[in-house]
Amino acid sequence: MEKGGIRVDPVTIDTTKIKHTKKQPVTALEKLNDTGLISTLLAAREREGMILFSTIDQVFNWARLSSLWPVTSGLACCAIEMMAVAMAHHDIARFGMEIFRASPRQADLMFVAGTVTKRMAPRVKQLYEMMPDPKWVIAVGGCASTGGPYHESYSVLKGVDLIIPVDVYIPGCPPRPEAWIYGVIQLREKIKNQGYGAKWGLNK
Amino acid sequence: MESDELFINMGPVHPSTHGVARFKLRMDGESIKECTPVIGYLHRGTEKIGEMKTYLQFIPYTDRLDYIAAFPNNYAYVKAVEELAGIEVPLRAEYIRVLTMELNRIVNHIVSIGSLLMDLGAATMIMWGFRERENALQLFEMLCGARMTFNYIKPGGVREDIPDGFIPKLNEFIKDMEKRIVDYEQLINGNEIFHMRMKNIGVISGKDAVNYGWTGPTLRGSGVDYDLRKYEPYSIYPDLDFKVCVRKEGDSYARFIVRMDEMKESLHILRQVVDNMPATKLISMAEYGISPMTGTPTAVSTYFPRIFTPPAGEVYSRIEAPKGELGFYVVSDGTTKPYRVKIRSPSFCNLTAIPSLVKGLKIGDLIAAFGTIDVVLGDVDR
Amino acid sequence: MNSAEELKNLLPGSVISTGLQLNKPMAVVKKEDLVKAAGKAKEIGFDHLSVITGIDYRDHFEVIYNFFSYSKKQNLAIKVNLDHDKPEVDSLTSLWKGADWLERETFDLVGIKFIGHPNLIRILLPDGWNGHPLRKDYDMNTEQFVTIGDNGDDVVSPDGTNLLRRK
Repeated sequence: MEKGGIRVDPVTIDTTKIKHTKKQPVTALEKLNDTGLISTLLAAREREGMILFSTIDQVFNWARLSSLWPVTSGLACCAIEMMAVAMAHHDIARFGMEIFRASPRQADLMFVAGTVTKRMAPRVKQLYEMMPDPKWVIAVGGCASTGGPYHESYSVLKGVDLIIPVDVYIPGCPPRPEAWIYGVIQLREKIKNQGYGAKWGLNK
Repeated sequence: MESDELFINMGPVHPSTHGVARFKLRMDGESIKECTPVIGYLHRGTEKIGEMKTYLQFIPYTDRLDYIAAFPNNYAYVKAVEELAGIEVPLRAEYIRVLTMELNRIVNHIVSIGSLLMDLGAATMIMWGFRERENALQLFEMLCGARMTFNYIKPGGVREDIPDGFIPKLNEFIKDMEKRIVDYEQLINGNEIFHMRMKNIGVISGKDAVNYGWTGPTLRGSGVDYDLRKYEPYSIYPDLDFKVCVRKEGDSYARFIVRMDEMKESLHILRQVVDNMPATKLISMAEYGISPMTGTPTAVSTYFPRIFTPPAGEVYSRIEAPKGELGFYVVSDGTTKPYRVKIRSPSFCNLTAIPSLVKGLKIGDLIAAFGTIDVVLGDVDR
Repeated sequence: MNSAEELKNLLPGSVISTGLQLNKPMAVVKKEDLVKAAGKAKEIGFDHLSVITGIDYRDHFEVIYNFFSYSKKQNLAIKVNLDHDKPEVDSLTSLWKGADWLERETFDLVGIKFIGHPNLIRILLPDGWNGHPLRKDYDMNTEQFVTIGDNGDDVVSPDGTNLLRRK
């Protein structure tokens, strides 16, 4: 190949002959150093202990359960107790849940609070489908769980779990705010145990 | 100037529709050209269930009609059954019934005003209101163990006598509530923005209101001096001193003020009830060895069996519920179950007028007008 | 003289009989003359139409109108009897605007047609619902489901396709 009157030979590089310049750790101290743990610990000491160790699952689950934003979807009697839960006396803000979103696109939790009638059912399902993943559903009260007192009615769906998956059922007609908060705590426990390590109990 | 017509669907899941009401709105620019309410998203078939259950079994279902104020629902149905069967009620039981109903009227108006203001964008009132509502609910819990759905009033009286320590706590509530209503008035009534949102919005004349079948505080806001407690008295209301709160303007603000005044009147009634309640010896259940529900006469309930057959006949009985005239049409064919139960709910009839009420207004005014009509969708759809 | 007898005196040809609905006066009126009788009742002061009740008695239907007079503080009930095969009666929407929804509800749940009603469609149940629930022969065992149609309105679907998670 001619280039500017000078002949240049094409060069081929055999990658198999490249040797690792990094020294393989042999001793125990070298192996420990190789994990990066010591440098991390030293960095932690420099930053006065402001570094945490965790798994990705634990971090994500903690973030998710600490700020569950419910969608405002009050259907019937239970919705009034939902208001009572959100107000000062029972104060669901303690769980980071006081922000009831009017749009399902900004919410990750749906309280199915009240009787789901046949006519309302497709709309509840649509609301659920509009919510971004990950999302959770709490069926509140007898009506949403099984149809409750209206089980034999012609126009009531016999449980909201016929149309959408439900994570926690709260019994009662309507459930007291204390029962409501207990249901929320159960959901938090459930979220805590999500992820790959959950089946070995690693995320607890 | 004409602009393109715009169709807006509001609800059934909307934060300011108090449940699952839906409005189909045809808009001309920002004003509402035509408003079509679509209801029935909470239709639970209560009237059909009434035909399947015995007279006593149906009482819990009446709780779930107007779930904010359930005692008047209980009472309206029980009153119809009592008239049908000709059952006498002890005086003390009547006093307890009126006590619960007036307490519930206060709760209803608190929730109504609170949610109205929240829809208008002021969140303080609902926080304050639910603080007092919680106190009232604790009183209800002392009476019957439930916060919202009571099943307390039964044909022949009430389920149990009032417990020890109830009256002092009630007095405390009345004293507290008097101060709180002054607080509410200071918070809301003079607010300039509130006036602009409410005055001359959703105006309806008294004649039109009657034509639409309006009742309750909504009708009294249009200058019609009418209250069933006064003009078709039932229970112990003839013995009580109270005045009917009326405003002439017929706009949203007038309806709001009527509710405020009614809370004060209810407190006035409560005080009289507490003072005049006939003291009878409470017959303990141990004395009989059985609970009053199995049919033993007590101080607060005449003899009444669990299953009974009133004589064949039909009755239309109505009361003044917090939202308006609540009526039950009960037809008996002489069996253990009603042949037909028809519920005349105040919310349903009051909502009829909303298309004409909001014509030409903005969507924000629809929310104000709808909030002051004060409907509960369980009551509308039944 | 109670209000039902007063109505009979004014309209002797239309009122079939008078009686008591437990404690409230009631007049049974020929179904052709309902609007006439109700109009007369409105004239003599019964300005509040409280409720319209339709009842299925298996062999015939009854529709009962309960009125109240704000000026006289009196009650009046008007009853009409309808054939079971042809439950039709004239609408009162020309006299009371509040009758609009009450009649639609009676049409929806009991299946009584109100002739002259401007917008007689179902109100509590969606259009296309099979049967009238408050009739005594309503089939309670067949479930009906509702889905959302293209224009956002409710459509009745008998098997719940696209709605139920599993059959």
